[in-house]
Amino acid sequence: MNASMAASVTQAAPRGAQGVQRHSVITLDGIKKTFSSPGADAIEVIEDISLDIKQEEFVSIVGPSGCGKSTMFNIIASLLEPSDGSITLRGSDPKCGARVGYMLQRDLLFPWRTIIDNVCLGLEIQGVRKARRYEMARDQLTRYGLADFADQYPNTLSGGMRQRVALIRTLITDPDLILLDEPFSALDYQTRLVLEEEIVSILKEHHKTVVLITHDIGEAIAMSDRVAVMTQRPTSVKKIYDVGLSRELGSCLKARSDARYQGFFDSIWDDLDIQIAGGES
Amino acid sequence: MSEAQLHTHVIRAGSVKENDEQLAGNTLLTDNLWRGAGLALVIILWQIGVNVGWINPFLMGSPVGIAGEAWRLIQSGQLLNDTIATVYATVVGFLAGSILGSICGLLLWFSRSVARIIDPFMVALNGLPKIALAPMIIIWFGSGMFSKIMLAFVATFVVALLSAYQGTHQIDRNLINLMRSLGASRREVFTKVVAPATLPWIISAFRLNIGFALIAEIGGEFISSDRGLGRMIFVAGNLFNLNVVWVGVIMLMIVAIVLYVIVSQVEKRLLPWEKGHK
Repeated sequence: MNASMAASVTQAAPRGAQGVQRHSVITLDGIKKTFSSPGADAIEVIEDISLDIKQEEFVSIVGPSGCGKSTMFNIIASLLEPSDGSITLRGSDPKCGARVGYMLQRDLLFPWRTIIDNVCLGLEIQGVRKARRYEMARDQLTRYGLADFADQYPNTLSGGMRQRVALIRTLITDPDLILLDEPFSALDYQTRLVLEEEIVSILKEHHKTVVLITHDIGEAIAMSDRVAVMTQRPTSVKKIYDVGLSRELGSCLKARSDARYQGFFDSIWDDLDIQIAGGES
Repeated sequence: MSEAQLHTHVIRAGSVKENDEQLAGNTLLTDNLWRGAGLALVIILWQIGVNVGWINPFLMGSPVGIAGEAWRLIQSGQLLNDTIATVYATVVGFLAGSILGSICGLLLWFSRSVARIIDPFMVALNGLPKIALAPMIIIWFGSGMFSKIMLAFVATFVVALLSAYQGTHQIDRNLINLMRSLGASRREVFTKVVAPATLPWIISAFRLNIGFALIAEIGGEFISSDRGLGRMIFVAGNLFNLNVVWVGVIMLMIVAIVLYVIVSQVEKRLLPWEKGHK
């Protein structure tokens, strides 16, 4: 591999945070997860994950398939308790889970709610008055060109539009951390590139801290400040790459065509490959 | 707005639907013409058969005879009274059974252990032909309308309960997780996800239950009753008055169709988001 393209493997602060003292939004410390069921051997899915994510950082978690990504997702989203270790979310225990907003591959829009009512879901649960939440939702929908669809049901929208609505629904409750779990993998390639770009800029605009869980190396490099590469199950953090291309260049598309992109890609691919081969032997 | 133009899917879907609707309108008209013609042909051939002597009107009835009896029964008011009695018992039993059954099925979502314990009983009750309970129910509640209401209730309750309960099991786990991550209480999960997501299952149980309620109600009238279309058919059948039997059967068909149409209208009202699929 070309030396100049080789990725720097450090644990330094993100580029966007240079010179500014930013506090951690989420700290995973020695997370372990073992699934045990009576009569069967316990399965160790996560061996040890320690990760510290600073405010406004965009961190991707990339791993070989079957490395326990969805377990990781559920733990970060506080839907699952780790067997050992601790998660600290902005200094407080995230058990109530209200501060993590997430977005999945499937948009999870409620088919029986109109677009605007879908967007309002979180506000409704938080007890925001109806007039106020409609006003907020309309503002956001207008901002992202979806105002005309406010009173439609989700099944009349295309996949990309539905994902946009899902993002607005996530953002409107103003969570501290946004967790993305392969949010684009059900979309066609063009829509995906457009949405990648759009979501990064929306999230930056809102000063959000983001964790993206994906198997798509390219997506991770194009969008992230840092990429954490996971090992095969039982999972631990193998390496952390300081990428920051999209932040430096201001665009995911530019990041994809940057000279360093391929270097990162090859190194991460190698990291995953070694593990897969190791797992099979 | 540029988004809307990008995603032409919406626009295309709209125009296709319009064409479909036009096409459907035309086919519906021709279909109905053929249906009417077919029915008229059968009735005419039937009457000719009776007149020529090929068909025994004593065993089969005759269109002219049926029309005559229908007129007589309408004029005397008996047809109306019997229809009202049957419709009343069916609808009250059907609504009470279907609504209460659906509510119980939904509430079972709150307690898996209760659901697990009563499950075999529900399955057994569901498999039982409810008409077998008719003699007992008539002994308990008499031969009046109330026993017919109870029969329709029993026939529809278990179907609605099982259907609603199964519906709660088909809910995407991710929707419930999403609600939890937003900080929703169990009650909010129930009202905002479980109940609306189960609604299509409940409606389809309602549709099935129209038939079950009618079967149970008419069965009950056959066994013991003082009025109703079932009694009218049963009594006329015993007297070999086939024309009156036919009047009752036709009236029942009309009742079934009307009830079915009403449920379909309610469905459209309650499930507006399903429109796009049809």
